Amino acid sequence: MQFLSRYGRTDWFGPLLVTILAAIIVGSLSPSFLSAFNIQVLLLAVAINALVAYSQMIIIAIGEMNLSVGAIGGLAAISFAGMMQVWHMPILPAALLGILIGLLGGIINGVIISLTGISAFVITLASLSIYKGVNLGITEAQPFYGIPNLVKHLGNAPFLGPLPWLIIPTAIVGFGLWLMLTRLPIGRCILAVGGNRHAAELSGISIRLTVIVAHALSGAIAALAGILLCARLQIGQPTIGDDWLILSFAAPVIGGAVLTGGHVSVGATTLGVVIVAIITEALVLFNIDPFLVQVVLGVLILWAVGINRLREFRLKPLRRA
Amino acid sequence: MPSDGPAAASLDASDTTLTPSPRVRRVRFYLTNEFGLVLLIIIFGAAFTFAVPRFLSHFNLFILGRTAAENIVIGFAMMVVVVTGGLDLSVGAIGVCAAMGGGWLMQVAGLPWPLAVIGGLLLGAALGFVNGWAVVRSGLHSFIITLASMSIFFGVMIFITRAQAFRSIPLSFASFAHIRYFGFISPLLLLAVVIMLALVYLYRLTALGREMLAAGARASAAELSGVRVKRVIILCHMLAGLLAGVAGLMLVARNDAAIPSMAGQLGQDWLLPAFLGPVLGGTLLSGGFVSPLGTLLGSFLLTLLTNGLLLLQIGQFWVEAVLGLLLLVAVLLDQARRSFIARRRMI
Repeated sequence: MQFLSRYGRTDWFGPLLVTILAAIIVGSLSPSFLSAFNIQVLLLAVAINALVAYSQMIIIAIGEMNLSVGAIGGLAAISFAGMMQVWHMPILPAALLGILIGLLGGIINGVIISLTGISAFVITLASLSIYKGVNLGITEAQPFYGIPNLVKHLGNAPFLGPLPWLIIPTAIVGFGLWLMLTRLPIGRCILAVGGNRHAAELSGISIRLTVIVAHALSGAIAALAGILLCARLQIGQPTIGDDWLILSFAAPVIGGAVLTGGHVSVGATTLGVVIVAIITEALVLFNIDPFLVQVVLGVLILWAVGINRLREFRLKPLRRA
Repeated sequence: MPSDGPAAASLDASDTTLTPSPRVRRVRFYLTNEFGLVLLIIIFGAAFTFAVPRFLSHFNLFILGRTAAENIVIGFAMMVVVVTGGLDLSVGAIGVCAAMGGGWLMQVAGLPWPLAVIGGLLLGAALGFVNGWAVVRSGLHSFIITLASMSIFFGVMIFITRAQAFRSIPLSFASFAHIRYFGFISPLLLLAVVIMLALVYLYRLTALGREMLAAGARASAAELSGVRVKRVIILCHMLAGLLAGVAGLMLVARNDAAIPSMAGQLGQDWLLPAFLGPVLGGTLLSGGFVSPLGTLLGSFLLTLLTNGLLLLQIGQFWVEAVLGLLLLVAVLLDQARRSFIARRRMI
């Protein structure tokens, strides 16, 4: 019993249980769900969506929000594709430059927010339109088709069993974020700023620097997600990132992130992404209307914030004791 | 119009100070949002007229006014929630739902258009009620609630309509968007002005409006003074849903059809105009201060810029970037203005 209550308090335990249950239920109802091919498709979706979720999670950690995640991802994706098609750049420099653009976009967000003190919501709403507008201005809403074959291959092929290549960068970023948030000073600063800005400032943490670093990281991760999605779609779509907003909040919230900041979990957020992917996949497998995916995502967010709220009330006396 | 100022918590800033000298009053007038917006509208209007003479043609002015009417009402829909310190990401989704509801009532149910319009507006208000109720009951910030609800409302609407548009809208209703008074004034623009006057009346002269402002300025203090804050917040969200419905039905009249994609994916296309109007107009995002005239002018300026940029043929794809930049410049200028006023102790 003590064992149960100890795990019940962690962020990852609930989502893990839901993941396993969902996998068993869907798997028993539809045997093709656990086929190698389907798992590969599932992992491809998880690899990209996890990065989208991490990108938002790091901003939720400092108690803010970033509406421009999708716009940064889209801008990086079309830059990546455009540099390879128009300027015939090799793959690696193009990808690095794409990530650099995302990093820069994030830094611009962070600098404006921390210098002016205006709410992140308004600033990232403005930068969302600016980045999206630049994206459309460059592409004129036409996709880039000239993606090298190697990128197309890496974007879809597995390297071992059902494990796709795309899962590697995601795993590295996920591990890096976990390491940062639990072991490195900057990660602890980010959580401290999110937990209580005033107390963090009094203990000598530079709020400005921490906010800028968080936004820079968020931008770089969003750019990486855009580039991976570009590789997976085999086309530099200007619409990449348009539908990331809901998902980017759903997964961290399912993973127990507190929206006022200071409390996020990389593992639980990843499980949140897996849950969303399994449910989306199940809707497809059972021939349920794909339009309902949006409804399911919305309900998942409400359900998760409700659960988080309950846990908050349950945990308060425990923490004090 | 109310004098501008961050000291809106005291509900009417000018009452709390001793009568300022005429010079200070004059400077304060020049620093109001409304004056700045009128100036900007004149400057940009003149610039566009100079660059593209066609800008002042009756046809273009008519189109400009009609589009402005939609953006103004969208801005109002966001403004009435921002008053309470919250926000409503689902205005676009609610607007499209109300428009589709109205379209269904007109085309499939065959109701006369006034009844269908009322039905659509009621649907908008009902969805707003769901938002407000969820915000109040959960105690969570309206951001996450309306983020989820925009996904749910839009998804259910697409599921029910199978993403099909209603294209047989009765001419008697659609003609509202095509009538021209004096050759260039759209009745929709007049409707937007009427809504503005109603909102001014609400916030200046009714107890409910003052309660909404008080709840936004400081909820706990309002609660202690006998304002039923939760009920007021629900009413604000219902009003937002109603106004979003008005904007959606305006779009139906203009398109001669109710189209599910007319506000983009999940209604996200409305987000930028919805925030630009109130923010340009000086409405405080933290709640408690509101300026319907400012929102009207702000939304008009944004429409004017879009229209002018399209006429200049700079490329329609850059318009969104310019509008984003405008929002950024607006909030930065607004902050500079506030700190200037605070430093000079003009309030």
